[in-house]
Amino acid sequence: MGSMEKPPFDVVTLAVPAFVLLVVLEIVLGRLKLIRAQYEPRDTAASLAMGLGSSIAGAFTAALVAAATIWVWRHRVFDIPMTAWWAWVAIFFLEDLTYYWFHRLSHERRFWWAAHVNHHSSQHYNLSTALRQTWTGGVNGSWLLWLPLALVGFPPAMIFIQKGVSLVYQFWIHTEAVRRLPAPLEYVLNTPSHHRVHHARNPRYLDRNYAGILIIWDRLFGTFEPERDDEPCRYGVVKNLGDFNLVRVAFHEWMAMAADLGTARNPKEALLYIFGPPGWSPDGSRDTADVLRARWQARVSSRATSAE
Amino acid sequence: MHLLDVAVSTVKSDRMSIGFLVQLGGSAVSILVLVLLSAWARIARPTPALDGTTVRPLILDEFPQAEPDSIWFAADGASAVAKAGEEALIIFRLGDGFVTRATPWAQLAKARRTGDQVDIRLNDPAAPRIRLRLDADAAWPPMLNPMDER
Repeated sequence: MGSMEKPPFDVVTLAVPAFVLLVVLEIVLGRLKLIRAQYEPRDTAASLAMGLGSSIAGAFTAALVAAATIWVWRHRVFDIPMTAWWAWVAIFFLEDLTYYWFHRLSHERRFWWAAHVNHHSSQHYNLSTALRQTWTGGVNGSWLLWLPLALVGFPPAMIFIQKGVSLVYQFWIHTEAVRRLPAPLEYVLNTPSHHRVHHARNPRYLDRNYAGILIIWDRLFGTFEPERDDEPCRYGVVKNLGDFNLVRVAFHEWMAMAADLGTARNPKEALLYIFGPPGWSPDGSRDTADVLRARWQARVSSRATSAE
Repeated sequence: MHLLDVAVSTVKSDRMSIGFLVQLGGSAVSILVLVLLSAWARIARPTPALDGTTVRPLILDEFPQAEPDSIWFAADGASAVAKAGEEALIIFRLGDGFVTRATPWAQLAKARRTGDQVDIRLNDPAAPRIRLRLDADAAWPPMLNPMDER
């Protein structure tokens, strides 16, 4: 296997010691009250165990993902050299754009939400939350979204390295210790402030700020929402989990989807239970993010009218 | 080269190595250390006992459409049940946060009581069982107080 096909190093593996040290630092500085950091031991254990489980689950699907990427690249349209600076600039933007759509899909369609929801199921927002990763992301096919990059001609090694860079970047933004970065950086980059909004369950903040590294995609595609000082983020999912059981953390949405499929009355309902937005139900008795936001907006408007 | 050939060669080059197992072992040890550190630090968010004052913002956030008229608080302050029409609004502490669910009042009333505990079964894979703690002599279904007289 050539150096263009397999990266010489794994960015995420190399970063793991730094992840551990930064979590230690956040806890110690939080204990000393030098930064804002809240940790609950069982929540922390669940987040970190999900991260470890994700590594193990990922090992089972990594070869398939790599093989598919390499196979597509061997049928590429252009030859893009790994040594060209412009190729790295191009893949930086294109991979980040791909990540935006992957992430948006992972929130707006239940089949992918079922794999991603565990990352949002903590009621905390700290560096351990960043490591609360999926166990089922490899089997839902979301990795197919990166194959067009290989088809265009980006070597698989470049794609895997850039995916790793994006994941490592996203680690440090899972913190309440950093309030705001300088305005120009807040305008361009995904920052702790923007990503706190993404993890919040307030109706105003639901399904917003899907960015990986660059927040420009949210600004461009209309999903950007700034963090407001008068509305603190409440973290977690719309209906928070009832315990810290890891199996429940990893699989509860898949279990709920299977139960719903058992009640589907026709193929259309079954398809909507799988590929509809999270919270969809045939009789509208459950709430999607759009419904929750619309109700919240109606309440806000009603209060404003009453005040007048 | 066919996809199958690529897959076979990839699996051969990526097979689980001793290095991967060492990495997993190191990660498991790190998790233990970090969890112990987080317990030592005692920096969980303050979670006051549920009462008339602390429950109000929770109900407003979690059940903004509901208009509960009466409420019951568990003796340990870890849970509360409000009644809004025929619906029971359940609030219970998990770690240093709260979890909420709405369920028909009739279902709540039928929940099984064992000693000082009541187990409420829900058709919800995210929270299939809610356990509330009662005073030994407390009634179930709970005796409600008007919301305004909390």
